[in-house]
Amino acid sequence: MKQSHKKVLFALTLGLGLATVSAPAAAQKPTEITFWTWYLSPKFDPYIKDTIAAFEKANPGIKVNWFDKQESMVQDFIASVNLGNAPDVVNLNIDETGKAAQNGFLRNVDALTPLATLKSTFYPQTLANFTVGGKVYGYPWYGSLNEGVLLYNPDLMKKAGVSAPKNMTELLNMVKTVKDKTGAYAWVPALKDPGGASFLGYFYSDGLPIYDAKGNAAFNSPAHVALLQKYVDLFKGGYFPEDALRKEAFQLATELYAQNRVAMIVGGPQALNRIKDTNPGLYAKTVVTGAPLGKANVQTGTSMGMVIPQASKHPAEAAKLAAFFTNNANQIAFAKIVPIIPTTAAAQNDPFFKQASSDPIAKATALVGASGRFINPGFKAPGNSDDLYKNFSDNIEAALLGKKTPKAALDDAVKFWNANMKK
Amino acid sequence: MARSQPLGSKAPRSSSPRPRPRGSLRDTLLSYAFLAPALILLTLFTFYPLAYGSYLGFTEYGGARFAQGLAPKWIGLENFRTLAADPLFLTALGNSVKYLVIVPVLQLASLSVAVLVNKNLPGMAFFRAAYYIPVVTSISLAAVMWDWVYNKEGTLNWALGAVHLIAQGNFFGWLNNENTAFWAVMLVTFWRGFGYYMVLYLAGLQSIPAELEEAAVLDGASAWKRFWNITVPLMKPTILLCSLLSTIAALRVLEEVLVLTNGGPLNSTYTALMYVYSKAFQGFNFDYGLASAAGLVVAVVALLLSVANFRLFRESDGGET
Repeated sequence: MKQSHKKVLFALTLGLGLATVSAPAAAQKPTEITFWTWYLSPKFDPYIKDTIAAFEKANPGIKVNWFDKQESMVQDFIASVNLGNAPDVVNLNIDETGKAAQNGFLRNVDALTPLATLKSTFYPQTLANFTVGGKVYGYPWYGSLNEGVLLYNPDLMKKAGVSAPKNMTELLNMVKTVKDKTGAYAWVPALKDPGGASFLGYFYSDGLPIYDAKGNAAFNSPAHVALLQKYVDLFKGGYFPEDALRKEAFQLATELYAQNRVAMIVGGPQALNRIKDTNPGLYAKTVVTGAPLGKANVQTGTSMGMVIPQASKHPAEAAKLAAFFTNNANQIAFAKIVPIIPTTAAAQNDPFFKQASSDPIAKATALVGASGRFINPGFKAPGNSDDLYKNFSDNIEAALLGKKTPKAALDDAVKFWNANMKK
Repeated sequence: MARSQPLGSKAPRSSSPRPRPRGSLRDTLLSYAFLAPALILLTLFTFYPLAYGSYLGFTEYGGARFAQGLAPKWIGLENFRTLAADPLFLTALGNSVKYLVIVPVLQLASLSVAVLVNKNLPGMAFFRAAYYIPVVTSISLAAVMWDWVYNKEGTLNWALGAVHLIAQGNFFGWLNNENTAFWAVMLVTFWRGFGYYMVLYLAGLQSIPAELEEAAVLDGASAWKRFWNITVPLMKPTILLCSLLSTIAALRVLEEVLVLTNGGPLNSTYTALMYVYSKAFQGFNFDYGLASAAGLVVAVVALLLSVANFRLFRESDGGET
């Protein structure tokens, strides 16, 4: 018996000893969370890595595993949910956040971070962009404005005998003159976007509604038709590049601008980065000024956000990381690397955006950097948006190619939307 | 010329059945053991996805249902009714079937060039490699290159202008016009597939016994007669294989359409696989059920065309022997 008592005592002592040794080890084991960004690597690796390191230092109990996703982001997201290893923080834009939230993929972040904190951090509109059905589904991150600034080639403008347009009406009125006198296109509008419905932005800019009070599609009034007709006439006359129907407008505009074949670009300062790389001489000459706006005198724009998947296993830690990345200091730090527009309300008072400079990028950044409050796509993604956007784009294309009148195209799109929209 | 027995033709049937080779149980088990790894992999990666995909075609699955972890819901033929009523799917399927025009052209061209590069002449290795380069060229690179060709100010318009087939004022973007975009994209498919089939034909040609050719030469047969009476009959299995692969590939065209035209203009290049891809993988509104049903329709069309191919070749084979 004595022998067996000794054995039991020994076992207990050993067990206690091991428990004492392993207990702190278990307590120190950090919670690992997975973080997905979208098209940010390798260009912004140092910024992302430094911010993660700062977050881990401030939160020693959390370890962040970062992956940058590109083309297959949405498919990977869906697959990871299916396989039970969903990421904890995902970088999505406004449109995709809306779709993901409508389909039940996301947690509402106002349940993880107090709504009062969110409201005091971000501009009301940037927060509203990520609000679906009254709940906030994303922490607004960096943004961009569709109008943003106007950049122009002064030589082409001088040759055409025109000066920078003050509004969209003036811009549309000078499209013929610039092409006829210089041979270069005045401007490349975003006519078609199969992944979105960019032309709806022009309606919004002119104060024309997308939906009626009941939430039905209502973009086929005579005023909508008249605006589309204006674009159709110019396209048919050869005043916009044919490729605008096939290629992304921003990509095409920067390509042609660098070749002296487009006089003006309306958009974010990011266009200047490309021009600087491809045609430094033209970059140095480029004049940057305020963007021409539509009749409603509003900007449109979009932003990225950080969302927390419903399937995240560590939502509290994920919320901490998302809030950290999107806070004012980290957004300002990002804006110093690339001309993004912070979505935090405090950014409008940051001295960084008040610096005077003759450099086009610095000037453009100063003009738009503090404009986060204007980031607004102008309309919410409708339920079943992929089908609806495709139909809208097809109808716009049919009008531009003369297969339908603008009225028939818009009537058909509205009819399709109202029959297929899931509210 | 004496007719020899083509290698690809059916062997004459003997009147009495051959005795079945007898093996021990151990041998039988051993054979299955050797087959097992391949069978397991095939089951996992081919048969199961095929069966599950077919099943999904009869279900509602995707979007919110998927996010909530709910199982697919059996809805019978509903997805197929949706497809039959969707003008976009019908256009897409029509375009995919129209795309089959490329199959005979591609086969004829690659077989002809394989015959040419099969000669033992100096520099032939260069041509064989050169024709194969498009097969291994990435589609994004190919898209940039073909964009230069098809652009309004691209090389094709300038070349046609140089020989006065098109006036400079009439230059147009080949991929922006609904009458030309389909054929322009098809030419890219031809360019990408040509080398692949040429290599298969080259392998087939090199397996033809040289003595047959030599005997025919001694008999005084012309090059055309030798091609028609020796090469073509002996190449029939390869032709059948290449036609089948090419038919299936034509029905599955996706990459070049996505990068060159994204299905436009006016959906003139929108193919059935693009429809499947957009329904299954684009955005969070995905619908695996509908996409699977559309995939199933494409698979049935491919199956019917494969059967037709087999029948066609069997009949022509029967005529020969």
